[in-house]
Amino acid sequence: MILLVDMDAFFASVEQAHHPHLRGRAVIVCGDPSRRGVVTAASYEARPFGVRAGMPLAEAKRLCPNAEYVEGNPRKYVEKSLELLEMFLGVTPDVEPFSVDEAFLDLKRLPGRGQTLESATEIARELQQRIWDRHGLGASIGVGTNKLIAKMASGVQKPRGITTLDEEKFRGVFWPQDVQALWGVGPKMSEHLKALGIATVGALAHAPRPVMEERFGVVGEHLIEAAWGRDRTAVIPYHEGVDPKSMGHEVTLPEDCRDPEFLEGTLLRLSDQVARRLRTDGFRGRTVTVKLRDFRFRTITRQRAIGIAIDDHGGIFEVARALWRENWKGEPVRLMGVSVSALEHTSEAQTELFAERERTKALQEAVDKVRDKLGEASIVPAGSLAHRRALGHVPFGAVSGRTAIDRRAKQGYGDGADPSPPDPTQVKPRLPRED
Amino acid sequence: MFESHNDPVDVLTAFVDGSMRPIRFRWQGRIVRVRRVTGQWARREGQAVLRYFAVQGSRDDSYELCYDARGPSWVLSRAWTGPA
Repeated sequence: MILLVDMDAFFASVEQAHHPHLRGRAVIVCGDPSRRGVVTAASYEARPFGVRAGMPLAEAKRLCPNAEYVEGNPRKYVEKSLELLEMFLGVTPDVEPFSVDEAFLDLKRLPGRGQTLESATEIARELQQRIWDRHGLGASIGVGTNKLIAKMASGVQKPRGITTLDEEKFRGVFWPQDVQALWGVGPKMSEHLKALGIATVGALAHAPRPVMEERFGVVGEHLIEAAWGRDRTAVIPYHEGVDPKSMGHEVTLPEDCRDPEFLEGTLLRLSDQVARRLRTDGFRGRTVTVKLRDFRFRTITRQRAIGIAIDDHGGIFEVARALWRENWKGEPVRLMGVSVSALEHTSEAQTELFAERERTKALQEAVDKVRDKLGEASIVPAGSLAHRRALGHVPFGAVSGRTAIDRRAKQGYGDGADPSPPDPTQVKPRLPRED
Repeated sequence: MFESHNDPVDVLTAFVDGSMRPIRFRWQGRIVRVRRVTGQWARREGQAVLRYFAVQGSRDDSYELCYDARGPSWVLSRAWTGPA
């Protein structure tokens, strides 16, 4: 049996757990609440007002002006996610983290428990209670005979629900539902299916296989199987790891912008962030994708495959800028994103053996060493400085420490240094200053 | 609402069972007694590790404190000042 543990409104719930006076209040997690951006997460108390993740912050404030708007802190949520992972590993060694707030637990190796739906449901109930008791967080748990059923069951009753389904019950619940309710069917696929007259999960289950295979290839067969509640995908324990398919960053601009220099500076900064992540995790990629959202919320993504696998910001930026120049028509831009996919491990990636390439590699290694020691803001491409000034912060939040040091200096502690006499054996790195 | 401060603060700290906990701190001229540590997390800044504590005061006031071992120093990063 498989469990899918889905943390309820995770980011907002972590804030409520850390700050108990927020419990029972509408909490909206976002970027800097004083700036433009989107809702990252909304507590269940905020949802009746119509607030949803991904909604522009201005709209959320109109719908729910009295909510508590909290600046999100990814590190905080990742840490809590790891604590939860530890707890799940106390239940079974076969845990697959599916996202920061979801994990599959395979109970097949538990001695004497978890082999029937009833027993798995009992384990789910105990686990849900322990999560609440220890972390003060709500979780909804799907119990199923495979990953697909567990995943879809977890969404049936929220928050703090437990839903147990076998294949037959799965069909009873989901066959009448819109085809987009099926895990893996997004809005675009849903449109294609509806164009074929397939509007519900049940209709998909009974769709003619030759038609589906002709239209969607191997995916067609997979969709029909999924509609029957069949899934043979194994839970991949976290320690076996699954390589990421892509890495990317995106940013909502402080205001709609049509200044090419600023926008290209933004692309450069995003390329730099992506390149840094690739190198840190030991990947290179062969496809660069640019995402643009204009002031009318129209979003386009354009990608280009390149001959060699790259992990340097210059290479990524070059492709991203070319895509951007080809596709930007001069409209004010609201959001930009850069991602790299078709990833390979650095050790496997074929590289060019030119001297120029070697120099770039040496430079990157030097830059990475500086950042490893002093932080992400310590050294950045010059072309992204205008962007950083406008946003008023630097990647990875390093400014908070610097601001504190600046304030300390103003209060008479000198230039951010400890007021006690310096220890000549200790050389303390100075925090980076912008510009 | 939450307000960002990043104010240096003096913190009385206890080390219990190998972990550090803020007990009370002085901020804006008053002493805040920490009733409960409600959360902890850490963030890297280069080689440095910044340790954060979400804490509740005795009047259900709520704060986030940050310990930076490089100083060593404490900073009050955020405070909840009542309903928005």
